[in-house]
Amino acid sequence: MSGTLSALFPWAFLVPLAPTLAFVIIGLFGRRMQRLEWGGWVAVGGAFVAMVLGVLIAVGEMLSPGTYSDRSVAWLTLPGNGTGAFPHGFSLVMGTLVDPLSAIMLIVVTVVGFLVMLFSIGYMHRDQGLPRYYAELSLFLASMLGLVLADNLLQFFLFWELVGVCSYFLIGFYYAKPSAASAAKEAFLVTRIGDVLFLLGIFIYFDLFATAGPGAGWAASGFLFVSHGAPFLAGVPVSNATLFTVAGLMMLGGAAGKSAQFPLDVWLPDAMEGPTTVSALIHAATMVAAGVYLLAVVSVFIGFTATDQLLIVAIGGFTTFWAASMALVHRDIKRVIAYSTVSQLGYMVLAVGAGFTMVGLYHLFTHAFFKALLFLAAGAVIHAVETQDLFKMGGLRKSMRITSIGFLIGALSLSGIPPFAGFFSKDDVLGSVYQAAQSHPAYWPFLILAYATVFMTAYYIFRAWFLAFSGDHPRDPTLPHAHEAPWTMTVPIVILSGLAIVAGLLAFVPQFGGLFRAGAGFLPTPGVPPTYTTTSLLLSGLSVGLGLTGILTAYVLWGNGRVFTLAESSAVQPIRRLLLERYYVKAGVDWFGLRVVYTVSRFLAFVDEYIIDGTVHGFERMFSELSTRARRVQSGVVLDYAAYVVVGLAIFLVFLYLVVPAFPALGGG
Amino acid sequence: MTDLPLAAFLGLSAVLLGIGIFGILTRRNFILLLIAIEVAMNAAILNFVVFGAYWGGTPGYGLEGPSIAVVLVGLAATEVAVGLAIVLALNRLRGSINVAEATVLKL
Amino acid sequence: MILDLLAFLVLAVTAVVTALAALLVRELVHTIVWVALFFVSLAGFYFLVSAPFLGVLQLGVYAGAVTILLLFGVMVTRKRIFAREAATGLGPAPVALALLIVVVLATAASTIPSSTTQVHGYSVDALSAALFGTYGAWLLLLGLVMLPALAGAIYLVREGRE
Repeated sequence: MSGTLSALFPWAFLVPLAPTLAFVIIGLFGRRMQRLEWGGWVAVGGAFVAMVLGVLIAVGEMLSPGTYSDRSVAWLTLPGNGTGAFPHGFSLVMGTLVDPLSAIMLIVVTVVGFLVMLFSIGYMHRDQGLPRYYAELSLFLASMLGLVLADNLLQFFLFWELVGVCSYFLIGFYYAKPSAASAAKEAFLVTRIGDVLFLLGIFIYFDLFATAGPGAGWAASGFLFVSHGAPFLAGVPVSNATLFTVAGLMMLGGAAGKSAQFPLDVWLPDAMEGPTTVSALIHAATMVAAGVYLLAVVSVFIGFTATDQLLIVAIGGFTTFWAASMALVHRDIKRVIAYSTVSQLGYMVLAVGAGFTMVGLYHLFTHAFFKALLFLAAGAVIHAVETQDLFKMGGLRKSMRITSIGFLIGALSLSGIPPFAGFFSKDDVLGSVYQAAQSHPAYWPFLILAYATVFMTAYYIFRAWFLAFSGDHPRDPTLPHAHEAPWTMTVPIVILSGLAIVAGLLAFVPQFGGLFRAGAGFLPTPGVPPTYTTTSLLLSGLSVGLGLTGILTAYVLWGNGRVFTLAESSAVQPIRRLLLERYYVKAGVDWFGLRVVYTVSRFLAFVDEYIIDGTVHGFERMFSELSTRARRVQSGVVLDYAAYVVVGLAIFLVFLYLVVPAFPALGGG
Repeated sequence: MTDLPLAAFLGLSAVLLGIGIFGILTRRNFILLLIAIEVAMNAAILNFVVFGAYWGGTPGYGLEGPSIAVVLVGLAATEVAVGLAIVLALNRLRGSINVAEATVLKL
Repeated sequence: MILDLLAFLVLAVTAVVTALAALLVRELVHTIVWVALFFVSLAGFYFLVSAPFLGVLQLGVYAGAVTILLLFGVMVTRKRIFAREAATGLGPAPVALALLIVVVLATAASTIPSSTTQVHGYSVDALSAALFGTYGAWLLLLGLVMLPALAGAIYLVREGRE
C-alpha cells in the first residue's frame, strides 16, 4: 500500500498541472462554456484531480515518511573552477519536493481549493466575467500548488510571484469598482515590499551557500535545500553570521508581506473587495499560507539565528494582538474575519519563530479549514442578504440553518474550544511558546499578548455570530428574505464543518501526526500532540477559560438581538474610533504615499523625462536631422550617382596610394 | 619587340581614364555620356593588354591580361547596346536625351 | 627603338586629342568620327605591344560595330541632338577630380620597376587555348551576361510599350 502510493511522488508535478490545464482550457474556451457554468465545472474538475492526487501523495508521505526530491530540470548550470566567487559553480533547477511540510500543505491547498471552487459555482452564479474568474482562480490554485511543491527557493519565488499577481487579478475582480481596483493595487504593492526583501534574502543565501557551501554536493544539488538546519548554520563562518541573520530577516520580511504581518498588514482587510470565495482562498489556503510556509521551509532547511527568532516572535506576537483588537469593532462581517486571519497568522508566525515550525504548520492546517468555513459561511450569508453589514443582519439562524451551524462550528474552532480543531493547534502554539519562553525570557510579553488575544478572538467572532444569526429578525427590515444557499454552497460548508471538527483530532492518528513530528533530518520538534503535563493542562485550561469568557461576554453584550449601546457611547468613542480607523496606519500610509512617495516620484519623473529621455530624444533628433540631410543624396539623377562613384574611386585611390604607404601599420609596403 | 617603359602606357591609360571621368561628370547628353564611359573603359582595357603583353606567357604568368581584355571588349559592346536601348527608350518617353532629366529612379 | 618611341608618342597624342575632341566638339556626328579615330589609335597601341589579335578585335568591335551603333543612336535621336546642353553646374570640380585621379594613378605607375619592362610576345594560338581552356568560364559568364542584356535592350526599344 505504502509502496504503491510513494510511487506517485515522481508524478507530483501533475498536481499543479491539473489546475494549470483548467486555466488554459477556460482561458481559451471559457466564453463558449455556457453549459459548464462558463468553465466553472472545468475549474472544479481541475481542482478535483489536484485534490485526489495531492491527498494520495500526502497519504503516501504519511505511510512512508522521508524527503523525495526530483531535480530533473536543471535550466541553468554553471560549472565551477575552484576559484572566484562561485568556486563550486551552481545550477538552477526546477523540481518537485515531497516531504512532510509539502504533504501538509498539499492537503490544505487542494482540499480547500476544491471546496472553494465548488462553492463558487453557486456563489458566483449571478456575476459577469465568469470565464475570467474561473481561469484566474485555477491559475491561483496552480501557482500555490507549484509553490508548495517547489524544490528550491528560486522556484518558490517564481510561484510566489505568480500567486501575488493572481491575487491582484482576483482582488480586483470587480475592477469597475474603484475601491476594488485600489485594493488590488494595494495588495500587490504592499506584498511587493515583502517580495523584494524575499528576493534580497535569496541573493544573500545564494552568496553564502555558493561561497561557503559544502563543496561538490552543494554544486550538484541545486539552489537551496541542500542542508537540513543546524548543520548548515554550523558551517557558516562566524564572519558571515551577521549576513545570515540579515538573510533570515529578509525572509521574515517576505513572509510578513505575503502573510500580512505587522507592519505590512494593511492590504489583507482591504482585499475583502474581491469575491468572498477569493477571500476564502486567500485567507485559508493560498496566499497568506505562503508566507508562513516560507518561514517554515526556511526554518527547517536553513535555520534562523536567535536574533531572527526573537524578531519573528515579536512580529507574530504583536500582530495577533494588533489585528484582533481591530476586529473588535468592525461592522463588516468579512472585515472581522479578515482581521481574525491576520491575528491567527500571527500565532503561526509566533510558533515558527519560537522554533516550533511544525506547530505553526499545525495551526496553519487547522486554521485553513475553519477559516475557509467561516468565509464560505459568511459568503453564503452575503449571498442571501446582499449586505456585509453585521448591524443590518440578525435572526438568520432560522432561515439559514446549515450556514449558521457551519459558522458556529468555525467560530468555536477559532475560539479554541475543545474538541474543535482550533483548540488543539492554538493550544500547541501557546504551549510551545510557553516552553520556549522558559529559556528565552524575551518571549514573555508576546506570550501574554497571545493569551490576551484568545479572549478577544472569542469575543469578536461570537459578536459577529450573534449579530448575524441570533435574534428574531434582521435589524434592517429592508433586507431581502434570506433563504438557504444551493447545494454547491452548502456541501462545501458541511464538508468544511466536518473538517473543522476533526482536523485537530487527526493529529492523534499516528501516521498523520507523524507528519508533524520530527521527520528524518528535521529540526527536533516536541511531539504534536504535546505530552500532557500538569503545566500544559493548566495552560490549556487557561486558554479555554479565556475563550469561554470571550464567548460569554459576546453573548451578554450582543446575544439574542441585543445591541451593546455602550459601544456607541462617548466614553469609549476615542478608542473605538482608533480601532475603526485601524490605528491610523492606513491614513499614515496614504499620507506617506501621497506626500513623500509622490514628491520623490515627481522628481524622478522630471529626471526621467527631461534628463534621460531628453538625452535619448536628443540623439533621436540628431539622427533625424542628419538623415534628412543625407536623404538628399538620393536625388534620382543618374549623373549624381556617377559623381558618387567617381568620388568613391578617388577616395579609394588616394587611400591606396598615398595613405597606406605613409602608414606601414595599415599594411602598406 | 618594343622595350618602351611600361610606365608610359600606364600613364597614358591614367590620362585617358581622367578624360573619361571628366566626360562622365560634365556631359549631359546621354550619347556623349556613353562615349565618355567607353573612353574610360578603353583606358582600362589598354592596361590589361599592356600588362598581358609585358608578362603574358613568361614563366609563372598566364594569359589573364589578354583574356580579360577580350571579355571586356565583349562586355563594353554589350554595354553600348543596352545604353543605346536606354537612349531610345528615354527619347521616346521624355522626348529628350538629357541625363539630368532622367530622374524616374527617384522615389 | 626610336621608331617605337615615335610611334608611341604619335599614338598617345592622337588618343588624347581624339578623346578630348570626341567629348568637346559641338556636333554630335563629329563626335562619332573622333571617337572612331580614338578607337583606331588604341588598336595601334595593341599592335605596338605585339598583341595583333587584340588590335584586330579592337578595330572590329570598337572602331566598327560600336561606332556604327553610336552613329545609329545619334541618327535616331537626331531631332534634338544638335542643341547641346551646357556642360554642368558642377564648376571646376569634375576637372579637379579627374586630375586628382590621373595624378594618383600616374604616381603609382611610376613606381613600377623598369627592369620588368620588356614586351614578350605570345601567339594567338596560346591566347585562344587560354581563352577556351583555362579561362573558358569567363567566356561563359560573358555569354550569360550578354544574353539577358541584349534581351533587355530589345525589351526597352520595343514599340507600343506603355
